[in-house]
Amino acid sequence: MSAIRSKLFAKSYIDTWFLLIMTGALLVAFRIVQPGWLNGHTVQNLVIQNTPLALVAMAMTFSIISRYIDLSPGSMIALSGAVIGLVYTAQGSLALAIGAGVGTALGAGLLNGLLVSVVGLNAVMVTLAAFIWARGLSIGANQGNPIDVGSGLGTVVNANWHGFTLTAPVVVVVYAGGWLLLARTKMGRYTYAMGGDPTAARRAGISTALYTVLIFLLMGAMIGLSAVITVGQLGSAQATAGLGLELDAIIAVVIGGTRLAGGEGSVGRTALGVIFLSILNSGLLNLGLTDSYFQLYRGLALLAVLSVQIVVRRVTDEEERRKREQEQLSAALAAA
Amino acid sequence: MSADAGIAGRRSLERAVVVDQVRRFADTLGIVAIAGALLLGFGLTSSQFLLSGNIRNIFVQISVVGVAAIGETLVMLAGGLDLSVGSVVLLSEVICADLTATHHLPLGVALLAALGAAGGIGLLNGVLVAVVGIEPILATLGTLLVAAGLAKLILGLRYLQVDHPVFNDLAVTNVLFNLPIMVAVMLGLYLVVSIAMRVTPFGRMVYAVGGNRRAARLSGLSLIGVTIAVYVVAGVLSGIAGFLNVAQIGLVSQNDGMGLEFQAIIAALVGGLSVTSGGVGRVERTLLGALIVGMMTNYQTIKGIDPSFQQAFLGGLLVAAVLADRVLRGRQ
Repeated sequence: MSAIRSKLFAKSYIDTWFLLIMTGALLVAFRIVQPGWLNGHTVQNLVIQNTPLALVAMAMTFSIISRYIDLSPGSMIALSGAVIGLVYTAQGSLALAIGAGVGTALGAGLLNGLLVSVVGLNAVMVTLAAFIWARGLSIGANQGNPIDVGSGLGTVVNANWHGFTLTAPVVVVVYAGGWLLLARTKMGRYTYAMGGDPTAARRAGISTALYTVLIFLLMGAMIGLSAVITVGQLGSAQATAGLGLELDAIIAVVIGGTRLAGGEGSVGRTALGVIFLSILNSGLLNLGLTDSYFQLYRGLALLAVLSVQIVVRRVTDEEERRKREQEQLSAALAAA
Repeated sequence: MSADAGIAGRRSLERAVVVDQVRRFADTLGIVAIAGALLLGFGLTSSQFLLSGNIRNIFVQISVVGVAAIGETLVMLAGGLDLSVGSVVLLSEVICADLTATHHLPLGVALLAALGAAGGIGLLNGVLVAVVGIEPILATLGTLLVAAGLAKLILGLRYLQVDHPVFNDLAVTNVLFNLPIMVAVMLGLYLVVSIAMRVTPFGRMVYAVGGNRRAARLSGLSLIGVTIAVYVVAGVLSGIAGFLNVAQIGLVSQNDGMGLEFQAIIAALVGGLSVTSGGVGRVERTLLGALIVGMMTNYQTIKGIDPSFQQAFLGGLLVAAVLADRVLRGRQ
């Protein structure tokens, strides 16, 4: 019993506890300000609106752990969506359109992965370039206007079951799969190894090039899936789809407790981060704030959480250090 | 024997220094050559490109990004990143326009207030990064939201028209050949900051902190002080970029400055700032980077290429710049 308790309150879970408390505080605060906000529909809407964020954040966990931050997903979701729209308009086949859209996302992931792993370019800059060129192409696809894809995809994506759409099970499956992949497979272990010490990983015989490409392809797959869902939900491909999503995903991962420096983190933590960020966004939007207050509060809330997180870590690190020194001292005294 | 070894050692050191200088010179020459080749190529294929009026346009168009890119270059040289540039430009514009146009305060007061706010956001960036210890990309993303929120709060849904004669002069009165004051301001800032980076202790400290943090700290530099100073300078420069933007457009609206940070980063990288090895790059080369980007944009506009595809091309240019850095300087 005490073993379980000490494990639950271990230092490695301090971030999780902190985040749970913050999430609780957020819920209470929104509940007080706007009593009608939290109800059954809120949860359903949260899931429906934040599916792309959740999917991208899962893949972003791998990106950040391996130190290959990916800034491309927001723009790439728009570009994949535009490809779905263009192919559907030209060919009239939804299957072909989805194939082309997902293929575009995977192709861009492959390109980014190869540029980073084989050519050896900086991941942030390569994906920043993709963030720029993909947005340009998706606006250029139809002069910035939405591209209609009919209602076929929408009936599947928006199929309703007790208020939850198809996206809810998709998110659950993706997180279960992501957890398995990261915690239980070779690819997961290598992801940690590459982020912890890239040189050591290479010298240990890990084919870092292959696994880097795989991490970018995983992101590509999540982008493709998000594009299909976004296009299906709206019934059209929008040039502004996914605007700022990559930064939200990074924030969700980091707030979850995964460190930007790489080498540690988990899919479960990201899930908590996504939940926190979704509640924050949805709660703020629900207050009927103007764009200005929304941005201001969001920025202040994020900076506050990140700052407190770091302070909490420093305090626990300090405690840990002191305890270790005490033990060493008593061991030395006993020896003497 | 040992004297001989000492002399040989010094010779090889001297040779290394010479090689290093030649390499640096070649780096700069390479960027100048690319800019020259583009100028020649664009001039030969377009009858309008080299007209003095068009050259003036290019300089006017890059002056806002150019000034913002000085700050971004300093931050990146010190091993950081500043995503709040665009929002700070907007905040500075809004404060300056609101105080002069709505509250009819003297321009000097408005400028000071705007620069103070811009420097304040820079200070916040510096404190969050250096004292609290949040990663630059996240800290400056947070302040991006805060600054944009504040600016839009003051602006509301208005457009602010600024018709103060000083702003008009900035964009219209020519001082250097046919270049207006705002271009002269940009060139002057580049001159001052490049010299400052070479001869002042501050410049050497920025390079030291970006090049080797540990060595910089062990040799007694205040990492916190230098980092905060760099972000404050970047904030103030973004504030000045805001004035130039007001002068250029004569109007302040919600979306001003959006995405400017990415243009500034691209200008710095095209100018040869290294992303793999910190502390490598020159402020004056960022100007060349901004010029190259400006010439390309201008040429594409002359040729009637859709702005969205110009943006796509800019992404490709960024990959090319990072690729060149990789080829010239090798893997990290």
